[in-house]
Amino acid sequence: MADSNLPKPSSSVKLVLLGEAAVGKSSLVLRFVNNDFQENKEPTIGAAFLTQKCNLPTRTIKFEIWDTAGQERFASLAPMYYRNAQAALVVYDLTKPTSLIKAKHWVAELQRQASPGIVIALVGNKLDLTSDGAGDAADGSGEDGGEDSGDARKISTEEAKGYAEEEGLLFFETSAKTGYNVTEVFTAIANAIPETSLKTARGPGASHAAGRTEEQRVNLNGPRDAEAKDSCAC
Amino acid sequence: MESLSDTLWDVVISGTGLQQSLLALALSRSGKKILHIDPNEFYGGPEAAFSIQEADAWVARVSASSDGGIFKSASFARPEEAITGLSASRGYSLALAPQFIHARSALLSQLVSSRAYRQVEFLAVGSFYIFKPSQDAGQKPSLTRIPSTREEVFSTTAVSAKAKRSLMKFLKFVLDYENSPHLETWQPFAEAPLVDLLQSSFKMDTELQTYIVTLTLSLDGKIRTKDGLAVIRRHLSSMGVYGPGFAAIYPKWGGLSEIAQVSCRAGAVGGAVYMLGTGIEETEIVTGEGEGEGEIKLRLTSGDTVKTRKLVRVDERPSGRVGISRVTAVIGSPLKSLFEATMEGAPRPAVSVIAFPAGSISTVAGKASEYPVYLSAHSSETGECPVGQSVVYLTTLTNPNAQEILNNALVGFISATSDAEPSPVLYRLQYEQLAGSDKSHIEGSVFNLPAPSASLSFDDTTLESVREAWAMVMGDDAGGAEYMVFEDREGAAEEDDGYE
Repeated sequence: MADSNLPKPSSSVKLVLLGEAAVGKSSLVLRFVNNDFQENKEPTIGAAFLTQKCNLPTRTIKFEIWDTAGQERFASLAPMYYRNAQAALVVYDLTKPTSLIKAKHWVAELQRQASPGIVIALVGNKLDLTSDGAGDAADGSGEDGGEDSGDARKISTEEAKGYAEEEGLLFFETSAKTGYNVTEVFTAIANAIPETSLKTARGPGASHAAGRTEEQRVNLNGPRDAEAKDSCAC
Repeated sequence: MESLSDTLWDVVISGTGLQQSLLALALSRSGKKILHIDPNEFYGGPEAAFSIQEADAWVARVSASSDGGIFKSASFARPEEAITGLSASRGYSLALAPQFIHARSALLSQLVSSRAYRQVEFLAVGSFYIFKPSQDAGQKPSLTRIPSTREEVFSTTAVSAKAKRSLMKFLKFVLDYENSPHLETWQPFAEAPLVDLLQSSFKMDTELQTYIVTLTLSLDGKIRTKDGLAVIRRHLSSMGVYGPGFAAIYPKWGGLSEIAQVSCRAGAVGGAVYMLGTGIEETEIVTGEGEGEGEIKLRLTSGDTVKTRKLVRVDERPSGRVGISRVTAVIGSPLKSLFEATMEGAPRPAVSVIAFPAGSISTVAGKASEYPVYLSAHSSETGECPVGQSVVYLTTLTNPNAQEILNNALVGFISATSDAEPSPVLYRLQYEQLAGSDKSHIEGSVFNLPAPSASLSFDDTTLESVREAWAMVMGDDAGGAEYMVFEDREGAAEEDDGYE
């Protein structure tokens, strides 16, 4: 357990997934967390909570992911998830125009209600259903506009990207099915979280607490009484 | 998907205050059909945490309605000179229930065993201070740190050598107070005020007595010996449980509000249906023989009518007991000196507690404070205000002078903690919280939870009525079920969390 490597600072980031039903929110999380995909996944009931680490060169970000049910009826769940969230992933299905409208509603609500400084990523999922495919194209930017015949794409990259730029959102097109661009979304979010909102974990004056990066956070899962005695061992 | 009214719910939980939310958590793996509603547009009920804008709106609602529930006389103020100092509204999370939680509280063991703790960030509650008013006009009032461990008593310079000896003797006594020979010492005083014991058995002077009584956080300052000893023992035995140098912790982002939210999330993950902005308009118990007897028909403010086997709500009717008055203030200073680690290796505290003993504050008319005032100072680490500011919560028992005493205590506190210029008050919220019923009661299929406790640190008796409500909803299924003991849900475990 006691490794000689100096541990990188690690911080927790609360992330919430929002979007219309069946756009692939849970599938994106499943791909990111377990590198797995399920066809015909059951709809999420209520919500789900998952965690996954993301290693950056200088720090480790631990995502605490709240995946919400898109078909929730009373719009009463989302507020309890985006409260204090540092990041949000707003997902639409790029073969379904109404899902982008819903995504825009979520973006507006986040901008009105969520913490100031929340990092929002707009994600068009199901790229595997378009003629761009998902995976081979090195840049994945879909420059051809995606109106090819036999292509299920209904929302062009330009349209969504333009909107994302106007609103200051990160933007990606992904395929949870093939895994294309999924890790990239989370890495980009991790990189975009401002240093200041990670302050709790990093805490000024952490220098004397060698190896202990979350200086202020009290851990309830520790060896309780033993910890009080051992704490000066460093 | 079934509609609201086609479902026969196992339970409708009304309100998302801490108690109802903990019930939702307790039932989150039961498979019961749960409809959880709240007339408010926010979570947390009487334990909610507000942005500035939400606090303003809450004040308007409490003042406008003839039935503000357990709250009344709410108002807010933004001192004009401070308008530029206040940040964006959503940068604040002002807690209606800023209680901290002692490390030995059963709430924490339940949060751990139910795995809900993984989503809460806890911060240390640091030192306890006593406010000393200025002795003469030229002097500032001051804050004296209360030594609350034997090590601190040993090293403190705040009390005389004689006082140290009696404090040491007392701390040793409390740790073993339920056993002979200590038992015989205090039992004759059991129902008498704690100060009587301190005076006659430990020969403490008034100042030292005040230190001890402050540690009990007694709202009227007149705590009985048997209660006082239990509270001080809890404090001492909580010391060091989760790390050196602190006895209590505080949930980041608004205290009990965060626990309520996390519990509701667990309820939602378990499949409960949530509706905000929806209250109960009418309750009708189905009577008569046969099918459906004892079921409850509820007409909701949303227009829906739902049927349920049980209803759990909070009894908000005021009782004859005295409630509390509160002032919550955003201060335009980080109050750094209050949030320094108390010992090597201790986490930097985010909360400090300052007690103003009875008589230490007076009104303009010269009337001295009848009850102690307690002030909880929170740093920006609590997430309740932006960096560079702090939030203070002042509480005293309601009395005709309470608001003036609280505001004068705030002025005294600012004077004691400011160097040259007094730190500005950027926002001030004040209100009264009535004391409701302190016991749960059952009427047929309806479980009435007691009103929230006014105590300054979390009151474990709250957990008992939640558990009773759980047992009622579970019925025969309660037998084999463990209470609040759950496995981590898939994907939620933190394999190498913590000890890095």
